[in-house]
Amino acid sequence: MDRSEIDLTAELALLDMDSDERDRLERGVLELLEYFAAMNAVDIRGLEPTTHALQEGNRLRPDDPRTDPSIADDILEQAPDLEDRFIAIPNVL
Amino acid sequence: MRASSPERWQQVLANSAYADALRSRDSSINAFLEIDTDRRHSHGDGTSPAAAGPLAALPLAVKDNIAVRGFGLTCGSRILANHISPYDATVVARLVAAGMVPVGKTNLDEFGMGSATEHSIAGPTNNPWDADRVAGGSSGGSAAAVAAGMVPLALGTDTGGSVRQPAAFCGIYGLKPTYGTLSRYGLVAYASSLEVAGLLSRDLAILRAAYEAASGADVMDQTSVSLPDAASRPSDEVRRVAFLGGELGLDQRTAAAYRRMRDVVAATGAAVEDIELVTAEAVVPAYYTIAAAEASANLARFNGVRYGERPVFAENPEALVRQARTEGFGDEVKLRILLGTYVLRSGFQEQYYQRAQRVRTAIRRELASVFARHDLLVLPVYPTAAFRHGEAELTAFQQKLADRFTTLANLAALPALSVPGGVCDGLPVGIQAIGPAFSEARLMRFAELAAAELPPQRPPGYEIELCDEVIPGGRT
Repeated sequence: MDRSEIDLTAELALLDMDSDERDRLERGVLELLEYFAAMNAVDIRGLEPTTHALQEGNRLRPDDPRTDPSIADDILEQAPDLEDRFIAIPNVL
Repeated sequence: MRASSPERWQQVLANSAYADALRSRDSSINAFLEIDTDRRHSHGDGTSPAAAGPLAALPLAVKDNIAVRGFGLTCGSRILANHISPYDATVVARLVAAGMVPVGKTNLDEFGMGSATEHSIAGPTNNPWDADRVAGGSSGGSAAAVAAGMVPLALGTDTGGSVRQPAAFCGIYGLKPTYGTLSRYGLVAYASSLEVAGLLSRDLAILRAAYEAASGADVMDQTSVSLPDAASRPSDEVRRVAFLGGELGLDQRTAAAYRRMRDVVAATGAAVEDIELVTAEAVVPAYYTIAAAEASANLARFNGVRYGERPVFAENPEALVRQARTEGFGDEVKLRILLGTYVLRSGFQEQYYQRAQRVRTAIRRELASVFARHDLLVLPVYPTAAFRHGEAELTAFQQKLADRFTTLANLAALPALSVPGGVCDGLPVGIQAIGPAFSEARLMRFAELAAAELPPQRPPGYEIELCDEVIPGGRT
């Protein structure tokens, strides 16, 4: 992994790094990627990938409204800033 | 000393001295991020007629990545530092319905990522056995709260060992149930295919009652599973027991406790056999590849827009999100997001993520073959007992390698229980049993067999649980 790879990866993850942090995180990522090579010793020919080890089919529920009267207010209370009952974000225009 | 009776714990919330005693005891441990015993959060008082069972009125501590209405939900992260949960996780709602009363939120490694409960905005949690040592992680606050006698039961989460390892470090029981049997609705997602809610207690009867009350399918969680009828679940027989053999790299305390547990199990008349796993070396690499990949996707939701901390000014929407994430996440979380983003990038997916998923299949198959011949697989929880604060004894990388015994059960979705394996040279050591899916009753039977010889012990200075300290007539 060359230097541009960690920068491109951070770009995709929407993370900024100063140079110290970039060096530290790059070392950490590299250390783990090298260690992941141990997976090459396992014979995986013909094996299907496991995405979930134990899963039933779709779990559906009736499309009924939940009528907790305070939930909307409780959720709005979490917003950093409100204008009436709208969530306001900083002016980014 | 005799275990405190659940009856005493059931009276403790009616006593006004409990809240102060809880805060006082926590001042040297830092298990809690938030304590509130006055039930102002409309969770009832545990005395409704519907809640007359063994859990009625018992105080409950909840790891701070599980939602409890009216309490904070920080996940130990700056990005959620002021977040209050507007709803209850299903596991919390079910325990409340059975009479339990949430009294506080416990410390953790940020978003559950760590082995020491040191990566948290609230600072580190201390081990009740030795304040210079970690409580384990990431459910370190929950484990320390139970071990120090502050609550009879705590909820944690276990993605790669985060319930079992702190339980082992603190000398109590830690149950990681079969994937999907405890709903994940209300757990802040980190690695969705691996993580489960788990239970920590010193009392097996309370642990069993809580699992029965909280488990079962949940319409709010697509990944929850229905428990088979009791008759279709694995029996609770512990007759053929496999022990993980070979070079395990254990410290002296753990090696001694592991040998002792083998003798204890053999003395019950069970057939004991040492086995090795051919996939052993690939377990941690597969685990961290998958966990990081899922983390990078799950943590994409934290952007500071609808909730959470964010900068007061930004040039444009992307800069707002970047700044919120850059300032809001700690180092370990950033490391895993970067790692996960990398292994999912086109060009690298096949080499890492897809390979890890196939290795996961190989690990599941190997464990299935173990359980075709054995009732349980017994192995250490962690290669060491509780280590000292900081990275002097184990670096962050070495702590990850040390997850080699716990991550097996997560990759295979199997239940596992960490049980006290005695105290060696002043520190407790935990030993775990893994069973086939839905074999929780068998794991608890194993715990009973072990407890006959190796009962849970209390840390020096915390011999008296809070229920006995605050209730008049309690033991002093």
